[in-house]
Amino acid sequence: MSTKHSIAAARFIANRKQEAWHDETLWMVRAKRDKMSHSLPEWERLRELACDIKMYSNSHLDTLLEEFEKNAIANGAIVHWAKDAKEHNEIVEKILQQHNAHTLIKSKSMLTEECGMNEYLFSKGYDIVESDLGERILQWMHLHPSHIVMPAIHIKRQEVGEMMERVLGTEKGNSDPTYLTHAVRKNMREKFLTADVAMTGANFAVASTGEIVVCTNEGNADMGTSFPKVHIATFGMEKIVPNQEALGVFTRLLARSGTGQPITTYTSHYRKPEDGGEFHLIIVDNGRSDILAKPDHIRTLNCIRCGECMNTCPVYRRTGGYSYTYFIPGPIGINLGMLKNPEEYSDNVSACSLCLSCSNVCPVKIDLGEQIYRWRQDLDKIGKASSEKKVMSGGMKFLMERPALFNTALKFAPLVNKLPRFMIYNGLNAWGKGRELPTFAKESFNDMWKKNKIQ
Amino acid sequence: MSSKESILSRIRSHTGTRYEQPEITLDAIHYEDKTGQFSESLKAAGGAAVVLQAGEDINELIRKHFPDAKRIASNLSEITCATFDPDSVADPRELNNTDLAIVEGCFGVAENGAVWITQQVKHKALYFISTGLVILINKEDLVNNMHEAYQRVEGTDYKYGFFVSGPSKTADIEQALVFGAHGPMNVLVILR
Repeated sequence: MSTKHSIAAARFIANRKQEAWHDETLWMVRAKRDKMSHSLPEWERLRELACDIKMYSNSHLDTLLEEFEKNAIANGAIVHWAKDAKEHNEIVEKILQQHNAHTLIKSKSMLTEECGMNEYLFSKGYDIVESDLGERILQWMHLHPSHIVMPAIHIKRQEVGEMMERVLGTEKGNSDPTYLTHAVRKNMREKFLTADVAMTGANFAVASTGEIVVCTNEGNADMGTSFPKVHIATFGMEKIVPNQEALGVFTRLLARSGTGQPITTYTSHYRKPEDGGEFHLIIVDNGRSDILAKPDHIRTLNCIRCGECMNTCPVYRRTGGYSYTYFIPGPIGINLGMLKNPEEYSDNVSACSLCLSCSNVCPVKIDLGEQIYRWRQDLDKIGKASSEKKVMSGGMKFLMERPALFNTALKFAPLVNKLPRFMIYNGLNAWGKGRELPTFAKESFNDMWKKNKIQ
Repeated sequence: MSSKESILSRIRSHTGTRYEQPEITLDAIHYEDKTGQFSESLKAAGGAAVVLQAGEDINELIRKHFPDAKRIASNLSEITCATFDPDSVADPRELNNTDLAIVEGCFGVAENGAVWITQQVKHKALYFISTGLVILINKEDLVNNMHEAYQRVEGTDYKYGFFVSGPSKTADIEQALVFGAHGPMNVLVILR
């Protein structure tokens, strides 16, 4: 019955101390979110509006994207459309070629992860420098993000310190976060000043103005775009919002949900190119238009990538981002993976207790847990249902349809209490792993009912 | 067919129900004392706000807050403590090692301590490269929340504009909060 998720989770759980730290730290972020949401009486109304705006914009992508393009061109930007990851990466490469560029300075973008852009450009000989501190740490360690907002949340300060001793020559044994952050600040300053081209993602693309909005705490997107003459901004087409009025809703929800801040330090609006420079915008589909045809899963396109569903998820907190097989972990990642390729990513759908905490905190009201439930119902259809569970539920069905047999079985159930452990907790009983069976009652509810013992 | 055409045609053929655009109506939070709330929000974000008192000299106030600043950049005529005009340098890289930049903002937002700034300097690098940042706004230019903020932004023209609340920060190492990730380590907003 072991899924790839449960096997990888076992590795994460093996370090009990780290697992507990991970769990508690993310729960602390979730608690900060609660404090923020409770401070606004209009919080639930904001969630409602955010969901309604997204349902509107994602069902009007054709008109809104064209409106965006028209306004962006009027602003002096150059607009590209990419059907898939390959086309996206080639567009970026072509821009780099046109400018004879070698070094690309990047702010965090889950879309470029999705497109495998860094690997592609590295293979072509370009140098890509991640400028978000967490992403930079991961790049130095040759790792991928384990969380979409806190990418290096799974790494301990000692590991960062040891790595920086080698890479930056920081003091031996010094793992103070302030010291290490400022060492990177110094190193990155030089990178910012010498990069050839800057690249950012976008949190929002505003149709009515043709501008994009990038939210960061570090200011790395702004530093990165301040020196090169060329800025490439790339975004999935569901990032479109109709107008600035809509931004009023989303900027109030994004950071409060994701990190428990009332707003990110920087909410930057890029509208026109630098004087004498170029501003390229890449609108990416890469499977998003297919989601539009799946009404049961359409709300996943509402996602503003705040990361809150990960912070609140009891499975994510206790098993870490690397336990999932899709590059986005947690509840939203389970769903996006299934939409990308259900055969390949079905191992993740069991990484959910169906507690629905994610659905209840999602700022854009994606029915995350409900969708995971629906995917589970479909597992058999794609030949991914666990054979062991199928045998068990087949047995249960057989028993449930035969009351006499069921009652007889129940009568003998208390005998299990006296069985030796090896007969109950063995390879055949996957539910017995890490769990203790409750003691069977001497008398069944049915018998008690008949003897009038139930009041 | 171009990629644009093929994407748009997929969107058209896959779009099912077309949902209506909602009317954005809500009872958004507002504050009796916007200045007090702005100051509190900014403090929580790691910055500080001060109100310039009648008769107080703005340059003296800045010097008092940043006594060690040597290289001070500003293109504002009222700022006499500046040591150079950042618009006079040809290359934004020359702004590196600026100790303090003094710039003008449009308005502040009480609910989160953010200030809306549209680029009023030659190189936007100035806003991020300096170790300290002083933002001047008029004390009556405060709004309650982001809805009101965007009402003020709507219809205005800019090349680049941003909301900034406090110093550049990160918590990427074990969620420990550190100021000065890449941009300013100190941010002071003067309400004048």
